[in-house]
Amino acid sequence: MRPGGFAKYFILTVASLAALAPVYWLITISFKHEVDQFAVPPKWFSFSPTLEHYADAFLARSFGQYLLNSLVVAVASTICALIIGSLAAYSLARFRLPRNLDRHLALWILSTRMFPAIVTAVPLFLIMRDLRLVNTRLSLVIVYTGFNLPFVVWMMRGFFAEVPRDLEEAALVDGDSRMGALRRVVLPLVAPGLAATAVFCLIVSWNEFLFALVLTQTDTAMTLPVGIAGRVTQYGIKWGAMSAAAVVAMIPILAFAMAVQKYLVRGLSLGAVKG
Amino acid sequence: MEKLNPYLRPHPDPLPRGEGVRTSDKSLALALIAPTLTVLLALSIYPLIYSIKISFQSQSGAPTLQNFTRLITDQFFFSALAHTFIYAAIALTVEFLIGLALAVLLNEQMRGRSAFRSLLLVPMMLPAVVVGVVWRLMLNSNFGAVNGTLKGWGVNPEALTWTASPKLAMASVIIADVWQWTPFMFLILLAGLQAIPQEPYEAALVDGSSAWQTFRHVTLPLLKPAILIALLLRSMDLLRVFDHIFIITEGGPGFATETLSLYIYRTAFRFSNFGYAAAMSFVLLLITNLISVGYIRLLQTREAT
Repeated sequence: MRPGGFAKYFILTVASLAALAPVYWLITISFKHEVDQFAVPPKWFSFSPTLEHYADAFLARSFGQYLLNSLVVAVASTICALIIGSLAAYSLARFRLPRNLDRHLALWILSTRMFPAIVTAVPLFLIMRDLRLVNTRLSLVIVYTGFNLPFVVWMMRGFFAEVPRDLEEAALVDGDSRMGALRRVVLPLVAPGLAATAVFCLIVSWNEFLFALVLTQTDTAMTLPVGIAGRVTQYGIKWGAMSAAAVVAMIPILAFAMAVQKYLVRGLSLGAVKG
Repeated sequence: MEKLNPYLRPHPDPLPRGEGVRTSDKSLALALIAPTLTVLLALSIYPLIYSIKISFQSQSGAPTLQNFTRLITDQFFFSALAHTFIYAAIALTVEFLIGLALAVLLNEQMRGRSAFRSLLLVPMMLPAVVVGVVWRLMLNSNFGAVNGTLKGWGVNPEALTWTASPKLAMASVIIADVWQWTPFMFLILLAGLQAIPQEPYEAALVDGSSAWQTFRHVTLPLLKPAILIALLLRSMDLLRVFDHIFIITEGGPGFATETLSLYIYRTAFRFSNFGYAAAMSFVLLLITNLISVGYIRLLQTREAT
């Protein structure tokens, strides 16, 4: 090992611990009896685990319903954004419009993603209220679809552009229609990219907080983040139930994140994960 | 591992410019884009227009400029503005320095490199609400792990009431932000470092430059585009910060951590004063736009020289 190698590993280990210890702490709280939760000095390892908080959160309280709402909203908005956005992405990757219109459109689409969320949250709440859509899952599906669209368009445009045109033209010469060639030739080739894009959309919709807070206040529509936050800011916090819900909110995200590591830089530069 | 940041090296243009387009292709091209444009018009542009409209209306709906004149005399607005900039400036600086250090450390081949990289990225992926819960647990002054650990080391943490103290509340929310978003800086900067070619380093080696000189005169200038992109993206997010603060302190204690987004939220959804909230949101929009234009200018001057 080179001189300095030890120091390097030491710093990286400390940094990794700093990144992970708080998450580990959250997980232990969710499995601890109340006496152990409040122990001083903190019990990092030695405590007898319990599942009571999970039962409390998901059976006795409404977190099961919030979980279902989160799932429905995330999956439905991801599917909508993928279908609508991929069509535009294919068009922007393959066709040239006069006066660089295609480029202007692509940039405009990306720029809509740059608005601070609170700027659109205020009018969107009023619009949804006029449409009587407040406190419905549909309102969130609509908003998240719009939220994810620019991202889908830009990610998929990149993946479509990487497919050699010759393959498609061969299919066209063989008598396929444009859409037929898209389905039979191009789609299988961009499938990994499509999957990665879908995972990013799922993460964004699953994590989103502000719009969910503004648009859903009842159990029938509230998503998991809003449900958890509602418990945090009340008096007499049930730390165990809250931690259990937070752990459940975190697990699918970590699994997904591992799946898209390869595309992380591209995705993040285009505004994945955070709006 | 993805090496190319799309901003640093744009996708190769798939088609030559100026190529003739068949009319049938043109209408197909537009038909495919139309649904996306419709959705975005309905969900971005229409709300924006709606927002402009209500910002010029009083709560009863009469036309007025009051929502904008009120800004000048509203001390809550100015303190929210100050909190926003303090939060953004401190978090941005700390995240950048730690992120850069980690990126430099992980930029060479070493054992366990991809494992470290994956571990360091975990906080960034978490939902904001989970980060909020984690740090409320960590910083709780009675049973939190931070104070508990300090006690174990013989430090008396009684004065460290974190989120309950007006002075430390700002530090608390910044800690949570730094914890979650330093990995983002690290990731973008690492990608930038890996896109730097080997030749300049070989030249520096021949010249006998020290490690610091090489970093200062070779790495930093070549990394500048990636640095600017990372700072730009983080600045935008920091200036509009809402989630962490809402969950950890709700802007309190008092209004000690109330940033502009939180004040807008309070105005709209606690006081139902949507017109004033809309007016303030345009100030936020203006600030983020000016700052992003500034960064983009800096990026372009570099490309021009």
